[in-house]
Amino acid sequence: MKRSLRSWLWRVPLDQEVDEEIALHVELRTRELVERGLDPKIARDIVLSRIGDLGHLKRTCVDLGRKRDREMRLTQWLDERMGDVKFAIRQLRAAPAFTAVAALTLALGIGANSAMFALADATLLRPLPFPQADRLVMVWERNTQERSPWGTRGPVSPINLRDWNEQNRSFEAIAATALGIGGGPLLAAPDGTLQSVDRQTVTARFFEVLGVTPILGRTFLPADAAGATTTVVVMGEGTWRTRFGADPSIVGREVRLNGQPFTVIGVVPDHAQLARAAGIWSLMPGQLPPNLSRGLKFLQAIGRLKPGVSIEVAHADLSAIADSLAQAHSDTNKNWGVTIDPLRSAIMGRELQLTSLFLLGVVGFVLLMCCANVANLLLARASARGRELAVRSALGAGRTRIVAQLLTESIVLAALGGALGIGIGAVMLTVAPTLVPANLLPPAAKIAFDGRVQIFCGAASILVGVLFGLVPAWQAARMSLVQALSSESRSTTRGGGRFRSVLVAGEVAAAVLLLCGAGLLLRTLLILGNAEPGYRADGDTVMTLDFSLPPTREGTRYPNAQSYLSFYDSASSAIRALPGVQRIGWASGLPYGETELGYWRFEIIGDPPVAAANRPLADFQVADPGYFDTLNLPIVAGRTFTENDRSTSALVCIVNEAFVRRYLAGRNPIGVRVAIEPFLTSPASPKVREIVGVARQLRGRAGEPQDPVQLYVPLAQYPVSDTLLVVQASGVPASALVAPIRAAIGKIDSNIPVRRERTLTDLATLTRAPHRFRAVMVGMFAGLALMLAMVGIFGVLAYAVEQRTREFGVRIALGASTTNVLRLVVGSAARVVVTGAVVGLVAAAALSRTISMFLFGVEPLDPVTFASVGVVLALTAGVAAAAPAWRATRVDPVEAFRAE
Amino acid sequence: MPAKTPNALLHGTLDALILKTLATGARHGYAIAKFIEDASDETVIVEEGSLYPALYRMERRGWLEAEWGESELGRRAKLYRLTRQGRTQLAAETAAWRQFAAGVSRILLAQ
Repeated sequence: MKRSLRSWLWRVPLDQEVDEEIALHVELRTRELVERGLDPKIARDIVLSRIGDLGHLKRTCVDLGRKRDREMRLTQWLDERMGDVKFAIRQLRAAPAFTAVAALTLALGIGANSAMFALADATLLRPLPFPQADRLVMVWERNTQERSPWGTRGPVSPINLRDWNEQNRSFEAIAATALGIGGGPLLAAPDGTLQSVDRQTVTARFFEVLGVTPILGRTFLPADAAGATTTVVVMGEGTWRTRFGADPSIVGREVRLNGQPFTVIGVVPDHAQLARAAGIWSLMPGQLPPNLSRGLKFLQAIGRLKPGVSIEVAHADLSAIADSLAQAHSDTNKNWGVTIDPLRSAIMGRELQLTSLFLLGVVGFVLLMCCANVANLLLARASARGRELAVRSALGAGRTRIVAQLLTESIVLAALGGALGIGIGAVMLTVAPTLVPANLLPPAAKIAFDGRVQIFCGAASILVGVLFGLVPAWQAARMSLVQALSSESRSTTRGGGRFRSVLVAGEVAAAVLLLCGAGLLLRTLLILGNAEPGYRADGDTVMTLDFSLPPTREGTRYPNAQSYLSFYDSASSAIRALPGVQRIGWASGLPYGETELGYWRFEIIGDPPVAAANRPLADFQVADPGYFDTLNLPIVAGRTFTENDRSTSALVCIVNEAFVRRYLAGRNPIGVRVAIEPFLTSPASPKVREIVGVARQLRGRAGEPQDPVQLYVPLAQYPVSDTLLVVQASGVPASALVAPIRAAIGKIDSNIPVRRERTLTDLATLTRAPHRFRAVMVGMFAGLALMLAMVGIFGVLAYAVEQRTREFGVRIALGASTTNVLRLVVGSAARVVVTGAVVGLVAAAALSRTISMFLFGVEPLDPVTFASVGVVLALTAGVAAAAPAWRATRVDPVEAFRAE
Repeated sequence: MPAKTPNALLHGTLDALILKTLATGARHGYAIAKFIEDASDETVIVEEGSLYPALYRMERRGWLEAEWGESELGRRAKLYRLTRQGRTQLAAETAAWRQFAAGVSRILLAQ
C-alpha cells in the first residue's frame, strides 16, 4: 500500500530524482575528503573521477527508474481493480436477492446468445476442417437464358468437368461427387450383418482436392480409376469404428457392397462428408461411357484454387472455357456458363446461413432486453444507495473513482451472469441435437461448445456489464452531496425515473419486434401444415421404403433392366400377401421433392422446335399403377397407368398440373405427344410418349416458390434399379409393416437393401422442419422477451407507485376516487407501453422484409400477425400493471404521512 | 579510475550488504556506502557506478522503498527503507552467504 502511495505523494520527475541524488552523493563525499584535509577542488575531482562516466550512471539509473515506475503504476492499477472487485463482491453478497435476479436474467441472455453463436460460428465463421480451406470452391453450371429448376447453381456434366480440368489455369484440380447416384448399398460387416451405408461416388482426386489425410491406408489415386469399372473404396471413420470395431487391418480387406466385392484402401475422418452423409466412398470410373451425353449433368464439383487465384479470376477463366465449349457443342452447351461459390457458403447454403444470422440477431435483442432489466434494477438500487455513495464522495472519492467502482460492480455481476450463461448455453447445446432438424445442418457443420464460444461468452459478458452499468453508474455519480444527504431525495430520482421509462419502452419495442417475427414464422408454419399436399391418402398409414437393386450385369440375377421387373413383380405379390397391407406401389420419387432421376429435357411434338440446350425440363418420375392408387393421388383428366402399359405396348406418360399450366395451357393435354430426351445416351434419340392422364399437383419442398413440373412414366416401360415402395397399412400401424416386408424381401434376394422407413407424414414433417425450427426458436425467444418486458413494466410501475405514495395519499385524503388514482397509474403505464409498441411495430414493418425468404404464404406486413401482437401485448401489459395499480388505490393517507 | 582493491566485491554480495545496512533504519545512498566502508574498516569499497543502479534495481523489485527526507546539508535527500519483502530477501541472502562462506572456508582454511 505504501508503495502505491509513494507515487501519489512523490511527484518529482525521474531525471531530477537521479540528478539530485547523485549531486548530493558527490557533495557529501567531497565534504568527507575535505574534512580529511584535502583541497575542496581536488577533493571534488577525485570524487568525480572515482565515479567515472557520470552521464552513463545517470542514464542507467533513469532507465531502471522508468521501468520501476511503469511496474508500480501497473501494480497500483491492479491493486485498485482488485480492491474494487473485492468491494463489489461484498456489495453483491449483501444483496443476495438482487444479485440472484440480475445474474439469472443475464445468464439467460448470455446463454441463449452463446448457443446461437455456436450455430452461427459453425455455419458462417469457422473455416471448414480442411487445409487452406479458403482456396476450396464449389463450381456449378448455370443456364444464362432460362430459369432452370436449380436456379443459377446446377449440377455439372462429367464431360464438361473433364474439359475444364484439361483447359483451366486457375485450379490445382476440380473433383466431383455424384448427385443422386448410388443410394445406400448394403455393407456386410465381419459378423455377417447387413446394413445399408450412405455412399458417395467421387472422382479420383476428390480427397486430394479437399486435402483429407487418411487415418489409415491411402485415398484414391488416378490409377485406381483407370478401368471402366472400379473395385476400391475408402471408408469413413464412423463406419469403420461402428461396423468394423476400428480394426486396423481393414486396409486391403475385401468388403461386399450389395454382394459385390470391393477392396478397402483407406479410412478417412468423417469430416470428409461435406454436404451429404457418407459412410463409404466409391470411385467413379475415369473412363466415361462412350455414349454419355455432354448434356447429362449430375456432378457436384469441388475445386481447389491455385495459391493467390481469386474466385473472380477463376470465374473468368472457366467462363471463357464454357463459352468455347458452347461454340463447339452448341447442341448441349449453348447458353451454359458457370457459377463459383466459396465451398463453405455452398455447403452451408444461403438459407442456413441467413437462419443463423437471423437467430443471432433475435437473441441479441433478448440480451439487450436482459441488460435493460438489469439496468433498471441497478437504477432502483442506486437511488437506494444514494447516501452511501454521497458519503464516499464526501470522503474524497472522485467521480471517476465512483463510476469505476460501480462499473466494476456491474462487470462482476455480468461475469457471474456470464459464468452461469456458459452453463445454460452448454445445456442448450446438449439438447440442441433434438431441436435442430437433421436436414438443417450439413455433416460438415459441427456445432460445438468450445473455446471459441467461451471466448464469445466472456467478451459478451464484459460488454454487457459495461452496457447496463454505465448509465446507472453515471447517474449515481452525478448526484450531489446535498441532494443525497437531504433525507428522502425525491428530486434525484426524477431523471432516473425518466430514463427507466425509456428503457422499458425500448424493451416493449424489442418484444413487439420479436413477437411480430415469431408470429410471421408461426403463420408460415401453420399455412404449410394446412397446405393441400396433393395426395389424399392419410399420411400416417402410408409407409415408404427405399430400394436399391444392383446395376445390371451379365451372369448375375439382374442381367438386364427387364429382370428388375420380375423382382418388382415377385416383391409385390409377397408384400401384398402380408397381413395389414392394403395397397402398394412403386415409384422413383416421392412427394415433397424427393427426386432421384433428375430433370429431363422434353419437347412437345407439333410445337415449334427448340434448340436442344434450351428445351424445358421436367422432374422425371417412374411409377407403377399402384403408386397413384396408394397415395390416392387424383388423376384429374384422362386415365391412370394400368397393368396393360407394358414394355411392349404403346409408350405413355402422365403429366402433372404444373406441366399442363406451363406448357399446354389452353389445350387438351390428353393425346399430346412428348419427345423425352433419354438422359444417358448421346446423340439424343428422344422417345416419344403420349400423354394419357393428368395427375393432381404434388407440393414441392416446403417454401419452394414454384410448383414442380413433373412427368410420370410407367415402371414397366422404364425399369429402374433405385425405387421407393409405398405401402398403405390397414388395421395395423404403418411401422409394423417394415419388419415383415424386410423379411419377405430377404427371402427373394438377401442382397437388396431396404432402407429409410418413413411415413408420408414423416416426409411432410421433415420438409417443414426448418420452418418449425425457426418458428419454435423465435417463438421461444419472443416469449422470453415478452416476459422480460412484463417484468420491466411491473418494475418501473411498482417503483413509481412507491415513490409517489405520499402524493397518492394527499390525493386520496383530498377526496380523489379510486378511479382517479387508477387513471394516474394506468395512464403513465399506457404512455410507456404505447410508445414502445408503436416503435416496435414500425421497426417490425421495416425489418420483416429481411426475413421474407423464410415466409411462405404470408406477407411480411401480415395484418393478422401485427394485430395479434398488439392484443398479446395489451393483455401482458395489463397483467403487469395490475398489481402496482391496485397498490396505488390502497394507499392509506395516514400511513403515507407517517412514513415521513 | 579508482584502483581495484583486493577486496573487490563478489558478484551479488552488494545487494546483501545494502539490505543489511538498511535493516537498522532508512538511509540515503551516500550514507549506505559510508556505512559499509566504515563497518568493514574500508576493506569493502562501494563504487557509485554499482551502488546506484543496485538501489534502483532493488527498488523496482520491491525490496526497498524510497521517500524524501532531509540530509545533513539540510537539503532533501532520497532515503531508502527496507520493505517486508526486503527483509525476507535479507534473510535469504544471509543464509546463502553463510553456506557459501562455510564451504569456501572449509577448502581455503583447511590445515
